[in-house]
Amino acid sequence: MNYMQHVNAMLRNSVAAVPELVIFGQNVSAGSCIGGLTRGLTVTPGSRILNTQNSEGTLAGVGFGLMLRGVSSVLCLKQQDFLLLSLDHLVNTYNVVRRLKSDTASFTILLVVVDQGFDGPQSCLNNLDDFCSMAHVPGYVMHNGHDVEKIINTHLVAPGFRILCVSQRLAGTELLRLEGPVETTPDGAVFRYARGTEATVVACNFAFPQALAVWNHLQDHAVQASLFSVNAMDATEWHWIREDLQRTRKLVLLDDSKSGNRMSDRLLWAMREAGVVDRAVLHRRDFSPAWFRPNPDLLEVDPAEILRQLQS
Amino acid sequence: MTAVLSEQSVEADLQLAYRVLRVRIGQLLVNERLKDRAFKVGVHMALGHEAVAVAVAGVMEPGDALCLTHRNLHYHLAHPHALRGAMDEFSLLPSGVGGGWLGSMNMANPAAGIVYTSSILGNDLAVGAGIALADRLRGQASMTTVVTGDGAMEEGAFYETLLFAKSLELSCLILVENNGWSLATHISERRCPVQLDRLAQAFAMPYVCLEGNDVHDYFTRMQAVRAQAVQQRTPVLVEARLATLGDWRAKTPEFPDGKFINYHHGAANTVTLQDWPVIRQDGSDPVFVLGQRWDEERLRALAVQVRGELEAEIQ
Repeated sequence: MNYMQHVNAMLRNSVAAVPELVIFGQNVSAGSCIGGLTRGLTVTPGSRILNTQNSEGTLAGVGFGLMLRGVSSVLCLKQQDFLLLSLDHLVNTYNVVRRLKSDTASFTILLVVVDQGFDGPQSCLNNLDDFCSMAHVPGYVMHNGHDVEKIINTHLVAPGFRILCVSQRLAGTELLRLEGPVETTPDGAVFRYARGTEATVVACNFAFPQALAVWNHLQDHAVQASLFSVNAMDATEWHWIREDLQRTRKLVLLDDSKSGNRMSDRLLWAMREAGVVDRAVLHRRDFSPAWFRPNPDLLEVDPAEILRQLQS
Repeated sequence: MTAVLSEQSVEADLQLAYRVLRVRIGQLLVNERLKDRAFKVGVHMALGHEAVAVAVAGVMEPGDALCLTHRNLHYHLAHPHALRGAMDEFSLLPSGVGGGWLGSMNMANPAAGIVYTSSILGNDLAVGAGIALADRLRGQASMTTVVTGDGAMEEGAFYETLLFAKSLELSCLILVENNGWSLATHISERRCPVQLDRLAQAFAMPYVCLEGNDVHDYFTRMQAVRAQAVQQRTPVLVEARLATLGDWRAKTPEFPDGKFINYHHGAANTVTLQDWPVIRQDGSDPVFVLGQRWDEERLRALAVQVRGELEAEIQ
């Protein structure tokens, strides 16, 4: 089973029994069903699946309107870029709706982040950080079997509003799963995949595959490292990572977000404030004009170089 | 003056006049406090919009929803006993209709069916469509009214919502309060005319134009609109042509006789609180128009009593 098939299976399982749910968006039940994301969904008689018009701004507002009336919904979008047309609702409408009596219904925007750059400069937005930051919207990314299950089960249909993101780059790839127990905070904000004593490897945004490659390389070279992912854009509970760093003192931080307001910046600042980082190896993407032409758009990581930096 | 009047005690044929006067005098009382800078937030009054607000509120049934814009006071005051809650909200008091959390431009009152209010042009259209969709899914024979304006209809959200509401057969009244102005810019200064009847025709949805400020006529026509929207499961586009009263003239070297300034928000300093609350002696003033249908002496007596009732409410 590949990554997108797993997301789809979890989605089908999560929505099948919800008594009153609207799943809507462009092509949710037509064509490729958003690259397989929403293929084969079935819902209860009191629920609906709506293939809608191409009006992202209005669709987000509709979700909040449903929420005000106590009806839960999931708006599915093919690209994160399209969500830019909904910013008014993500900020202004949400600011009012969360104050009004709407705490029983769920509104989730589930979207695909085009985290490969071959669709051109207008279809390569990989930046959940800023969407979430503007109005303190909860947001989560999913990149492996563990976090997909936790985050969809916890957040897809739950009181309140949030944005959930899947990766286009990972869509057809083999689903990542790690051996051994995987721990998570109750809300799925932070996952711990391994405990080590010599380094702390942390993935933000969709950089988990790269972080896993680094962690594997460190293991191969007898460096016992911990491995974490930060899946939430509003995560503030860093105690697992802080406690780990108190032991290892060495941080490897990877983040493939294109934001200038990255979760990894906040994490790094918090860990330095806590005085638990003696050495930090950072692999992130700083702004580049190269973003504006078709390109692989990949956070490239050389695990051997990271090991060298850790040991230098 | 003490409160001696309640809506139930008004003669049946005067009910609509009573409500128009309540909305007008309530706004005039707010205006006096605006002149005194008594509130913490800015208020967009809607003097001249009373007839349509009374008609919309009058046809609402339990379960209907109303979504408003930043200029919303007239719809709030069209419901009984709303003035104190509104004034307290403008003062950001816990006793305000929004608990002091919403202020003026987002003031909502779900208990009265006013479920959402937005200060962003065009924003409430989509939210209203979502509310109407929820009611459609539940099989409720209700109607959602979404108020917008001649400025907000310039936003893409207006077109998108017409399309969405028609495509999903939503019982939705999309009400364009067309006062001709967006801030200080008249339609003729900012865009080409838009014939909303033809736009409605393009979407195969009914169109109704309200003109003349006769509350009885508006109420009767809105009853028909509601019936059509609910029974035929269709959105209806209603255009209310009106004037926002409270304008004034600014004398400048370029305009020695005064340049017309349309009222937008805050105190209407040219408007004063009087026993007979007519602002303009023509058909642009819904209170003036009351005199074309009802005896003016009865109306004047009613206005005095309404004022007493409202002043007692806010004491």
